[in-house]
Amino acid sequence: MTKKVTANVVGIVLAVFFAFPVYWMLSSAFKPTKDLVSTDYDLIPLSVTATNFATAWNKPGFLSSMGNSLFVTLGAVVASIVVGLLAALAMSRMRFKGRKQFVLLMLVAQMAPFEALLIPMFLMMRDLELLDRLPSLILIYFAVTLPFCAWTLRGFVNGIPLELEEAAMVDGCGRWGAFRRVTLPLLGPGLVATSVFAFVTAWNEFLYALSLIKDQTKETLPVWLSGFQSAFGTDWGGAMAASALFTLPVLVFFLVVQRKMVTGVTAGAVKG
Amino acid sequence: MTAVHTTDAAVPTTSSAPRRAAPGGAPRRRGSAFDRTLPYLLLAPALVAILWLIGWPVLSLLVTSFRQLNLKELTRGQVVWVGVDNYAKIFAEPEFWTITVRTVVFTAAVVAVSVVAGLLIALLMRQISPVVRIALQVAMLLAWAMPLLAATTVYQWIFDQQYGILNKTLVKLGFDSFAGFSWFTTGTSTLSVIGLLIVWQAVPFLAFSLYAGVIGIPREQYEAAGIDGASAWQTFRAVTWPEIRPLLLMVTFLSLLWDFKVFAQIWAFKKGGPDGASTTLPVYQYLEGISKSHFGVAAAVSVVMMVLLGLLTFQYLRRLLRQEGSL
Repeated sequence: MTKKVTANVVGIVLAVFFAFPVYWMLSSAFKPTKDLVSTDYDLIPLSVTATNFATAWNKPGFLSSMGNSLFVTLGAVVASIVVGLLAALAMSRMRFKGRKQFVLLMLVAQMAPFEALLIPMFLMMRDLELLDRLPSLILIYFAVTLPFCAWTLRGFVNGIPLELEEAAMVDGCGRWGAFRRVTLPLLGPGLVATSVFAFVTAWNEFLYALSLIKDQTKETLPVWLSGFQSAFGTDWGGAMAASALFTLPVLVFFLVVQRKMVTGVTAGAVKG
Repeated sequence: MTAVHTTDAAVPTTSSAPRRAAPGGAPRRRGSAFDRTLPYLLLAPALVAILWLIGWPVLSLLVTSFRQLNLKELTRGQVVWVGVDNYAKIFAEPEFWTITVRTVVFTAAVVAVSVVAGLLIALLMRQISPVVRIALQVAMLLAWAMPLLAATTVYQWIFDQQYGILNKTLVKLGFDSFAGFSWFTTGTSTLSVIGLLIVWQAVPFLAFSLYAGVIGIPREQYEAAGIDGASAWQTFRAVTWPEIRPLLLMVTFLSLLWDFKVFAQIWAFKKGGPDGASTTLPVYQYLEGISKSHFGVAAAVSVVMMVLLGLLTFQYLRRLLRQEGSL
């Protein structure tokens, strides 16, 4: 009995530990500045204001970097999902020479440490005259997320019984018809989960965004936020509001598909 | 919704697809030229992308590491081969070795702490009441979902010297020396704060994955162990451990891969400071390559990073490849 109580108490303490920074971000974002830079001890906001959000929203660079982030992230995700799905279908549904080698290539490509490819990527983007231009980031985020997307989607396609497609073909669907009417709808949740993972990866990326883009009007949100001290000074309320706005889209997506993400990432665990 | 009820049915098995017949389209259509080229057409975009954006940079990295390539050579388009000079140069620098050891120790510490914490939380989640469990899962989900840079900014605020809630709390608890205490004056304490941030964000994934493995273990096995009078530790060793060992290896491997490359948090906190004391290999690579435009030297650093990563993950990678090879 006491053991059970102890376990629950530990569980609650851990829940507080994990939730606290998120709570603190939100509560600070809603606090007026005078309560932030005070020596009073206030775990619960004494008064609430939305000024910080207005400050963050109107800071030079916030909206443009948000727009840049959305542009590169969505561009990369769409490309990865389309190209990854094509490859997944071939890997999962078709028999051809070199299939095994390609599957292995995908597996190895997933492990590619992109951070270590910074220098050649920089030189390559320079040769392509893409430095300081957002398409460079789209290309890189596409390459970073593609192997994972192809690999995970392959798993999801494998999970759809081939018999369903065959039945559709017996009923007169062509290969394309069977794909569009049977496989694609069943793949919906898998596509959503995979794209969220790709979205989060690109949304978070920092090293390349910092290295390839020097033009401030083309900064992405993580880079802009990392320089918040130049934007906000010691205005922690504004910085917290900006962080909250940065977190919001990810949080919404995460809550929707969290369960699929766990299973997707660990799907390749070695047995035994 | 937020609770993780993972059943085997929900896992898209990539390693085996027992219920699926041999891959291949409808047999009667095989043979036409279109059907034979179709798989290659589908793979072509991915293959081109991987060769162009991963394969080529890897080659280019190796080649660059044997060149002298500073801003001068770059703007003039000169190709100057220097053999292993870049490697000789970094190996001769004591600072490089300090940074390498620091990176390895930091990675090992962060991975060890987060994997052990993730495992303990996964085991704990089975013991606690549903309400507490869901609260814990929601809390972990929040930590996991937070964008790196948002989390970093929040940690900077929590650890703020003057108005940070941590120092305020410590003072309130009677530790007066923490009034105005700066957490970022030494490399060790800076890296500890960064390590805490990384662990905080890494544990949720580990705990969720391992919990999914733990709840997959049949109840009867525990009941049998209970009848045999096994202690909690014996039960863990005999029942839980063998079942989750593969999963544990997998997530440890992934953590090594992820934590070794950490750059954003370290850079955002103190740019590798104070005085270079929290610089790790990825930061060093950035400083040499992008800040100082010593591309050749930086490429050599990157190669060392890759080799180290390879050594750290070699065993697991081999097993993974062997397993996939048997597909």
